[in-house]
Amino acid sequence: MAFKSVFIAIFISTALIFAALIINNSRPTVETGGAVGQPAAQFIRATGKCAECHRRETSSIVHQYEMSRHSVKGVTCLECHQPLEGQEKWAHSGFILTRQLTSLNCRQCHTTEYDQFVRSRHGAPAYAAVQGEQGFTEEQIAFAEKYHPGTVRRSPNALALRQGEGVLDLGCLACHNIGKPNVDGSIGSCTQCHSRHATSVALARQPQTCGQCHMGPDHSQIEIFNESKHGILWAHQKDLMNLSAPAKTLTTRDMPVPSCSTCHMSGLEGQKVTHDVTERLSWWLFAPVSKKRPTYETGQTAMKEICLKCHATTQVAKFYEDAELVVLATNEKVQAALDLVQKLRDEELLTPEPFDEPIEFLIFDLWHYNGRTAKHGAFMGGADFVQWHGNYELLLKMNEIEDMAAELRARKRQELSDA
Amino acid sequence: MRDWPHRRWLMLELFVLLNLAFLAVDIYVAHSINRFANPMEWVPFVFSVVATPLLALASVADRRHRRRWGRWFGLIIGCGAIIVGIGGMMLHLESQFFELQTLRSLVYTAPFAAPLAYAGLGFLILLNRMVDPDHTEWGRWIVVFGLGGFLGNFLLSLCDHAQNGFFLASEWVPVFSSAFAVGFLALTVATTPNRLFLNFCLAVLVAQAIVGGIGFVLHLRGIVGGVAHDVRENILFGPPVFAPLLFINLAILSGLGIIDLKSRRAV
Repeated sequence: MAFKSVFIAIFISTALIFAALIINNSRPTVETGGAVGQPAAQFIRATGKCAECHRRETSSIVHQYEMSRHSVKGVTCLECHQPLEGQEKWAHSGFILTRQLTSLNCRQCHTTEYDQFVRSRHGAPAYAAVQGEQGFTEEQIAFAEKYHPGTVRRSPNALALRQGEGVLDLGCLACHNIGKPNVDGSIGSCTQCHSRHATSVALARQPQTCGQCHMGPDHSQIEIFNESKHGILWAHQKDLMNLSAPAKTLTTRDMPVPSCSTCHMSGLEGQKVTHDVTERLSWWLFAPVSKKRPTYETGQTAMKEICLKCHATTQVAKFYEDAELVVLATNEKVQAALDLVQKLRDEELLTPEPFDEPIEFLIFDLWHYNGRTAKHGAFMGGADFVQWHGNYELLLKMNEIEDMAAELRARKRQELSDA
Repeated sequence: MRDWPHRRWLMLELFVLLNLAFLAVDIYVAHSINRFANPMEWVPFVFSVVATPLLALASVADRRHRRRWGRWFGLIIGCGAIIVGIGGMMLHLESQFFELQTLRSLVYTAPFAAPLAYAGLGFLILLNRMVDPDHTEWGRWIVVFGLGGFLGNFLLSLCDHAQNGFFLASEWVPVFSSAFAVGFLALTVATTPNRLFLNFCLAVLVAQAIVGGIGFVLHLRGIVGGVAHDVRENILFGPPVFAPLLFINLAILSGLGIIDLKSRRAV
């Protein structure tokens, strides 16, 4: 009897152990550490432990993560949230985390993308356009200046300073922080385009994502896009796109209509994918008077390769020719206005302080709004922006500036005669 | 051995009282992880704090002074513990596992079997008042509850260590050992075992106690070497410090039942 009982008891025990082993074996490897070789137990624990509380406390971030490619690939919360060199450590519910993720955390896996991003105008120049060189190391400034001369070694934006700190944070910097220097030595934040927990490539391909910053009178790309044939087709066919297609294998079948990212970044049908949004540009269109970039030829060739996925060579060449004519015509008008205002300064008809006289706002509007709009409109197929919001306004404002100049000169003459 | 019926009654009563009191600490730690998000999480804590002295009072009144109200009071507390246990399990069932029904959510969910510890204690209180310690049934019922406890231990150590992906091979030890406890105790309950088999059972239970002791030291080491500077944080979010003690606890309970059965068996 004792042997029979011992035999059955051991049989039951062994069956339980086998059941436990089989159940554990059926779990994904990311939860068992096996094949993926998790470096420590806390990485495995993070696969489910974080969600256990956050599903209740901030449920949206868990759902966002579950929709992400990171979730499919088994990237755990801790892999992104682990503190890296230079980042503040935070003990939280049994884990050591960093609260403030930067591009350095993304760089752990996406090194190429970070390196391309930091070379682009989305890197240091974006932040320096508002805050100047403050916060950047000498090395970072030198690196950025190599690709974008004069855009980082500069003083803070005079207009931004005049508007005050609160406005800076919620206004200018809400977008320009994309190139903010971080305490860990990295630059910028990937979440501006990809969002935080969804880390979505599909989101970054939405025109609205670029449009969150590239909008308004000073860089009205989203409005121009919406008006363009690309934008009209997008509005009609966006639901048919496979926006989650991997960047390196993206085809026109996935995205038969381009969004901003298609032309500026995507590796459409074998073309090199890039996170340097300036790589395919040929002109400094944002400048008051636009010049060709040093990478004019390579940039234009790269962009034309994308155009050729849908358009004939002759059509693309004609498009560039026409657009460049608009750039030159706009340059001419802006230069004339700038020369006139400079002349007024030379004649000491204006104070040295920026943005304290109406004509200074007018000349700023002229190049910063209408000049840019006209040039962007020309390169993005926005007819209304080339003409009514662009060149028409240039003519109108030039007229007003001339009137103001005449008035200032007359007032000066009057003052001299009175004296 | 003349006193044995009284002693075993007393031993079981002390076992229940100690467990009921200790559960207050355990529940406080466990629900602190959750920051007592649901006010109902205070119920078992308050129950333990209030019921322990009341049960002690009722036991003394019942056993020493032969007061009827003492017996009834004990029965009411026992029923209360069963309600707390089953109610707790129902609340734990509202966890993410039953929402998502995935293996991952089972591993990381609120341990739905854990509140049954209260139900187990409640039944032990009733058992000590409703079954004569002189009767064979008394010891067998204790083994039944020991078996239930070890089944819970098997599942809890499996799920708890699965959270770490069994990163250390030693994390399998409590799973294996509790499986053996389940096997041997199940046979004890299902058959009429002889003394030799009961000796085997006792050896298995001693092994459980050793596993529990070593586990306690290992969990303590995990807490001492925890990632946070704050000890409280390490206790809350480190390895559950008291969990391995459950092996010793259940070994004592089951041992009580086995020894009782053994005392009634011929060689």
